[in-house]
Order: sequence, then structure tokens, then C-alpha cells
Amino acid sequence: MKFFRQTHVYDEPFPTVTLAFFLRYPNPYASHIASVDVIDRTFTERGTLVTTRLILKRGSLPRWAPKGILGPRTETWVIEESEVDPSRGATQVRTRNLDHVKIMKVVEYAHLRPHPDDPTRTLHETTATIHSNFSRLLQNRIEKFGLNKFRQNVEKSRYGFSMVLRALRSHRLQVLDGAVGGVGPWESIGDTWEPQSFSEPSSGDTVEGDGELPSLWQTWRR
Amino acid sequence: MAHSLKPECTPLKHKYDACFNAWFEGYLQPLSAPALAGGAAAKPLTQEAREAAQRGKREEYERTCGKVWEAYRGCLSGALTEKRLDDLLQQAREENPMLEPESPESARQR
Repeated sequence: MKFFRQTHVYDEPFPTVTLAFFLRYPNPYASHIASVDVIDRTFTERGTLVTTRLILKRGSLPRWAPKGILGPRTETWVIEESEVDPSRGATQVRTRNLDHVKIMKVVEYAHLRPHPDDPTRTLHETTATIHSNFSRLLQNRIEKFGLNKFRQNVEKSRYGFSMVLRALRSHRLQVLDGAVGGVGPWESIGDTWEPQSFSEPSSGDTVEGDGELPSLWQTWRR
Repeated sequence: MAHSLKPECTPLKHKYDACFNAWFEGYLQPLSAPALAGGAAAKPLTQEAREAAQRGKREEYERTCGKVWEAYRGCLSGALTEKRLDDLLQQAREENPMLEPESPESARQR
């Protein structure tokens, strides 16, 4: 088992960051996302919104990956379960792969909340576990590969996320200027934009390592 | 907007997403009593007023997006069985119950 933890601060307030989270696909940094569907959406008694999304990702396998197990396709179904609580200011998301779980199981937890010292900014805590149940010989290699891949993907998805955030910001300014009427920012995301210069996202502390992550569930449930 | 796993459902999915996104932006805004004329700061709501406002948002979602949600779901349901995704989802749910984060409110209710 390997784990990963990172904290990131966005300069946008919690509602904007949560909206961007749901709008993050497609973006030019997520060309591996083949489809995104909402398969379940309900309100809880407390007025929070619980959503299950099913995402199809296309990926590449390393050269040493066991042949014949996956066949020619290297697609993975991913389930994203989220709960948004606007009155408390908390969004919690758990994402995990549904198939190929014997080879590798990746569970990612994301927690968005207003920054305790500055509520106009948003804290994004990412925690992930990577676990392989495959042959003893390959287990460690697969987990290391998974951790590396995960780390690269976190960085890539930040770029995509930053673009979506910027788009939301500029859309709002346009609305204030009266330049756009009635067209949501999501209409254009991914269709018309090219990757362009963006400010380097500032990353917080990154912790990685082997073994169990003792406070994983505490973090998740905080 | 991203495609649906079933290409025929993509137009319905886009319609639903557009409806949801427009509603969601309002849902995310913090609830507060309207600021008094004269520029006084917004007051926090009472528990009762907050619940009423939440109910209002939920009803608004069902009123505006309920129909297109049912259509999109209907389009998708066969595809989940066809691709044997419902089996995978069932397994995932059994292995790890669906998300139920703790909260002070839910703890008190128990």
C-alpha cells in the first residue's frame, strides 16, 4: 500500500471551487476522459447534495505490465461519489476505480472547504491510497508505478482545474459587463480553449509513503 | 461538456448538465437574510428560515431539471446493464458502503 497526501490553496471562494470541480471535464489537460455520466443524485435530510458519477478513463500501461490480462483495451471505469454541503461549506469526494481492482486499486479522497484563515480562499486536501493485490513479485512495482502516475496526474489535473476556474471568473466579469447573457460558462469549456499561459499552481505539502495511512478516515470524515 | 457513455444519450446529458449547472451555482451560494435597505450587513438565518430556503432550492431543482433528469436516466439505464456496469457498481457498493460523511447534525440525530 502506498499513500499520497497534498494540500492546495485556491484563491477563489468555496462556491466557485466546488462549481469548478463539477465542471472540470472536459478540459485540454484531460483528454483521457472518454465519458462522464451522473448515475445518481439525491438530497439528504440535511439539505446536502449527494452525487454519483461514472467516468470512463483511457490510460496507458507500462511496458512491463502483465500481458493478456487487460486485453487490447486499457480503459477503466471510475466511480466518483460526492457530497456538497453549502451551509457548512464542505465538499467531500471519493473516487475509485471499479475494474482491474486486482491489479491496482486507487482510492482518492478530496476535501474542499473555506480556508480557516481566509474564507475568500479555498483549501483542497487530497489523500489517496494505492494498493495492488497482484502477484508478490509485481505488487511493489505496480504500486510504485501507480503512485508516480498519480502524482503526475494530480499536477496535470491542477492545470485543467485552474483553466476552468479562470473561465468561471472571466465569464462572471463578462456577465457584469453585460457582454454575455444567459450562456453558462460550461457551454464553452473544452470546446474553444487552447492551453495557454497560466499561473503555476502553488502546491502545499506533499506526503507520500508506504503502509497504511492511519488518519485517512479521520481526514475524510472531518 | 463531456460525452455520455452511451453516445445516443449525450444530447440529453448535455441538456441535463446545463440545467443542473445553472441551478447548482445558486445552490452553492451561502444562505443569508436579505440585507436591509440602507446597507446593513446580511444577518445569519434562523434554523427554520434556513430549512425553508433549502427546501425551496430543492423544489426549484425538481421543478426545472426533474423532467430532463428522468429522460437522461431512462436513456442511460439500459446501457449500464448492457455494459455490465451495474454488476461492478453493486460490487463496489457492497465492498465499500456509499459515502456517508459524519456531521454534527447527523450525529445528534442518532
